[in-house]
Amino acid sequence: MAYPALAPASRSFSAGDYQYKTYKAQNGAEIRILYGDKRTGMTLELGYDNIPDTDADDFVAHYDETKGGFTTFTLPTEFRSGWNGNSAAIDASVGNQWRYDGPPQITSVRPGISSVTVKLVGVL
Amino acid sequence: MAKVYTGKDGRLLLDGTEQIKVSSWTLTGSLEMLETTTLGESQRSYTPGVQEFNGSASLLYYNDGNGRNDAATALKKVLRVAGVTESDTVALTLRLVEGNTNHDVQLNVYITSVSFGASVGEVSRADISFQGTGALTAVTI
Repeated sequence: MAYPALAPASRSFSAGDYQYKTYKAQNGAEIRILYGDKRTGMTLELGYDNIPDTDADDFVAHYDETKGGFTTFTLPTEFRSGWNGNSAAIDASVGNQWRYDGPPQITSVRPGISSVTVKLVGVL
Repeated sequence: MAKVYTGKDGRLLLDGTEQIKVSSWTLTGSLEMLETTTLGESQRSYTPGVQEFNGSASLLYYNDGNGRNDAATALKKVLRVAGVTESDTVALTLRLVEGNTNHDVQLNVYITSVSFGASVGEVSRADISFQGTGALTAVTI
């Protein structure tokens, strides 16, 4: 199954960075060597509050399907709900796909209702 | 026939026994709401959470001459040497009477706080607060 097509209640995105190394001389001068032309390592935390348990278990099913953080995937457009900027700006940038950065966290709120938090990381 | 209810119609029963010299009672029911608003929506939306019932009552500290003192019985739900256990719930009935018809709300409660005292020029009374546990057992209002 694909990643659940649900609009999150909260979203936190960090844009990652390009791969480079920094060398500092004794006099403080800094040299940077760029090792890649693609930004990577972006992180995305999505919160789905008070959703039915039948939707919450879809996240675990998808986590199983991707063998946890082993395989990568793309996200449905619903994850960008409420975002009016460039759609690519908060997605995995060119050449990247998402993988799980940890298991989905499910918090049972009341019978039949749960909240889910998902942490993803963009990888080349 | 039109009917306006007043304190005269009110009754309070603990474990099925109508309490004597009750001067007031109140019951509050509330429903926790869980927000289901998602990003991109302009209006908040909710789904029902859990309910809660609590309230309070005031009884005159009154001895009926036969040794019965309902206020003392209620006070002793908290003012006691031994601790309160799970079995110390009370079946509470809050009633408004209309002729032969009773309009009841019944629930199991713990008496959670009591206070009583004596003041010059005032009738001694026991004020109790209760916390409902579980669902209402009957509603015939």
